[in-house]
Amino acid sequence: MKTRWRWLLPLAAVPVLALLAYGFRLNPRDVPSPLIGRPAAAFTLTGFDGAPIALEALRGKVVVVNFWASWCYPACYEEAPVLEQGWRAYRDRDVVVLGVDIQDRDEAARKFIRDFALTFPNAPDPDGKVSVDFGVYGVPETFFLDRDGRIRAKHVGAVTAEVFRTHVDALLADGTR
Amino acid sequence: MSRRGRLKLLAGGAVIALALGWLIYEGVSQSAVYFVTPSELVAAPVPGKAYRLGGLVAAGSVRWEPQTVQLTFDVTDGKTTVPVQHRGTPPDLFGEGRGAVVEGQWTTDGYFRATLIMAKHSEEYEAPHPTREGPGPGMTKTLDTQR
Amino acid sequence: MIPEIGTAALLVALALAVWGALAAALGARRGRTALLVSAEHAALAVFALLTAALGLLAHAFLTFDFSVRYVAFNTNLGTPFYYRLTAVWGALEGSLVLWAWMLGLYTVIAIARHRASARELYPWVLVVMLGVVAFFLVIMTGPAPVFARLSPVPADGRGLNPLLEDSGMITHPVALYLGFTGFTVPFAFAIAALVTGRTGDFWITTTRRWTIVAWYFLSLGLLIGGWWSYHVLGWGGYWAWDPVENAAFMPWLTGTALLHSVMIQERRRMLRLWNLSLVVLTFALTLFGTFLTRSGVIASVHAFTQGAIGVFFLTFLAVVVLTSLVLLAWRWETLGAQGELDAVISRESAFLLNNVLLVAAAFTVFFGTVFPLLSEAVRGVKVSVGAPFFNQVNVPVFLSLIFLMGVGPLIAWRRASLENLRRNFLGPVLLGIAAAAVFRLLGVGSALAVLTLALTVFVAGTIGLDVVRATRARLRLGEGPLRALGRLVVRHNRRYGGFVVHLGILVIAVGITGSQAWSVQTETTVNRGEHAELAGYRLRFEGLSESQESNHVKVTGRFTVVEGGPVGAVLLPAKKFYPQEQSPIAYVDYLLGLKDDLYLVLGDFARDGSHATIRFQVNRMVSWIWIGGVVLTLGTVLALLPERRRAA
Repeated sequence: MKTRWRWLLPLAAVPVLALLAYGFRLNPRDVPSPLIGRPAAAFTLTGFDGAPIALEALRGKVVVVNFWASWCYPACYEEAPVLEQGWRAYRDRDVVVLGVDIQDRDEAARKFIRDFALTFPNAPDPDGKVSVDFGVYGVPETFFLDRDGRIRAKHVGAVTAEVFRTHVDALLADGTR
Repeated sequence: MSRRGRLKLLAGGAVIALALGWLIYEGVSQSAVYFVTPSELVAAPVPGKAYRLGGLVAAGSVRWEPQTVQLTFDVTDGKTTVPVQHRGTPPDLFGEGRGAVVEGQWTTDGYFRATLIMAKHSEEYEAPHPTREGPGPGMTKTLDTQR
Repeated sequence: MIPEIGTAALLVALALAVWGALAAALGARRGRTALLVSAEHAALAVFALLTAALGLLAHAFLTFDFSVRYVAFNTNLGTPFYYRLTAVWGALEGSLVLWAWMLGLYTVIAIARHRASARELYPWVLVVMLGVVAFFLVIMTGPAPVFARLSPVPADGRGLNPLLEDSGMITHPVALYLGFTGFTVPFAFAIAALVTGRTGDFWITTTRRWTIVAWYFLSLGLLIGGWWSYHVLGWGGYWAWDPVENAAFMPWLTGTALLHSVMIQERRRMLRLWNLSLVVLTFALTLFGTFLTRSGVIASVHAFTQGAIGVFFLTFLAVVVLTSLVLLAWRWETLGAQGELDAVISRESAFLLNNVLLVAAAFTVFFGTVFPLLSEAVRGVKVSVGAPFFNQVNVPVFLSLIFLMGVGPLIAWRRASLENLRRNFLGPVLLGIAAAAVFRLLGVGSALAVLTLALTVFVAGTIGLDVVRATRARLRLGEGPLRALGRLVVRHNRRYGGFVVHLGILVIAVGITGSQAWSVQTETTVNRGEHAELAGYRLRFEGLSESQESNHVKVTGRFTVVEGGPVGAVLLPAKKFYPQEQSPIAYVDYLLGLKDDLYLVLGDFARDGSHATIRFQVNRMVSWIWIGGVVLTLGTVLALLPERRRAA
């Protein structure tokens, strides 16, 4: 090897490093949902407080459906306060946050709701039917529904305040058109 | 070292590199497994090709016959549903409404024959448990008995 | 309060590690001893603080301090004492603490061993070691804070991952990390050699033991990992070419190459550049392994991203690799060989080939592991290659390596004459051919198995030939046979230690061959009182029982051996139901044997115990793998004994 060429040696590592970096671009959680743009399947669940929750009854509102479980740590723990804040900030503007608790034990789920002082409607999904209808692969997953009940966006992993705001604001703006 | 010796060495290196390249090429073409969702599979199914089908086990679809050790169920992505047959016990993490990845082939009889079921823990979006160096608890392996 | 002390300890350790690295670099450049001494003190303090942090974490586990997030999520009130201790490194954050602690330990040992003997290199060794420690401390105080609090404090924790409740979990991570971190020392020496321009043979001879130790622990970690996979995961095998396993296997392959190429440099002053590159590669692969297991970039089915950590690791990996390569380029002129390859048929070229093959094997494993990423980047298709790929590609490579294992130690240096070849190899080759014929006659059907076994016999033959000859030479000196053999082995402990390690590998190879070729299994449902049959073994299903354990409920099936193996022996496979898990966990039961393992997994059962579905496997010769591990250990110990050759 000519000695001047030796300085090209470090370049040899660049493709490999680039490939690994590319791995971060791919989010393995990003399972493309074929449901985006389609009407969400209707469901009626009984909330932890005993009140019935029917998706159909929420037509005309922007609905945030969040799938969670008490054993899902840390993501569900991180997003619970965010969802609660979002619910409090937007509830007067025709936005509803719905929690669906899947594959959980009742007492643990109730403790989770108590611990985080969640006030938005929350219900267990005892036979997992709702989560299958929504194509939920894991928790947490959050779906943003427009006023017509169509699934417009899906977020996998913990919802941050920014994610919540962006999606909800977009759907609110959409609806006033 | 003599010129001839050097040449021999270079030739040896070339032979090794070629052999390795060939092994890798053959290996990849023979054991490539394609990840698909039910919708993707149904859109363009190729019988005999190795697939890894990821989706949810549809509620009410699981039928398990202990006496014949036959397991049938549907895998869905919410839009499309694929019937799956498997010879073997359902793995520990397997269940209706849960995620599953099944490896196998599409058959001309219109169902997916699974050779391996990897049931998904719904916990998957959680922090990983890094010290496990084997196949993690997120996945339970079942081996096909007919292999 | 205690968690805050722990965090504080880690922060102070970070500051000291950074200071120590800077001080050592400055001290080396300016020739200031005081700075160097300060760096040493910093290193000692870092180790002390890491020890304290580890202790505090253990304390938090033992006292069920659920206000610590990490404790709450990896233990609960039912977790037995023993597993509360292993839970310390049972998950991401804690494993990093253990990792950093070991690095700290190695740093301290390196100071004690080399501060006087390696004056010029030693400051830079300290720089590199403390730099790596600092990196881990950054992770532990930044993206993966082990002492982070949980609020609200839960009344009970979630519990340890049940699969980690196994005795293998105390030794497996410890061995593996000792191996991974162990390669930091040779790497540090290599960098020191490059920085100081002392790229001669000194750093190689100084780090020989370190390399052997790291290599040994890595081997042990892999073997225990296989054992854990075999007896806990219940899928019936010990190696699945899973990305996480591959991550540990790649540095093992390059580390093995390094162990051999180092001998060429010692003997013939060749391969300087190659050796430095191998050390860098091995260390980079250990980092890549950690990156892989902890970032989730590759294993879409395995563990999912904690994005921040992955980015940190990748950045560090990039810094390490690029810096090393720039240093190599900078010192290019000093890295030319002094010795030369004389002939194609020689020990040098046998070793060279061994190295090429080992690195090639590492490359194919790497290629297969990142293949999903590659195919998605290039073609946009999600494709992976599974175990068949790795087996298909690696079997020819490993068979060649076994062959070389017989050739390498006996072929002549420089140029092997026909006479030398005939004298050393004619016997073993004939033995191998004869063995192939015998195995064939005994009904071994698989050509691959015949070939592997024949090669194994050939290699064992070369080792036997060498030992017999050398012992005989000593007999002529009038020593008794046993005494002669003993002296031979002790006096030339490096050579014979190596032979014993080779024997261990051969035993493992036989185990792998046997289990791949002859294991059988069946999956069947049996009614109570009826039998399951496989390969001449008959098991009777006696019934089910349920029991309440400290942290789970266990349903146990009772099976008695009525024909085949030890008649009357009982197998008790079970399913364990942990409240914190959504699904039961299978508990495998097995009877280990030299020839056959009976391996039983309880799949499904009727609640009334009337029938149960089981997977029944007769795994052949798997035990040889674990026995090979013991032989390997003996060989390593022998090779590490102080050299007595010169005294003799």
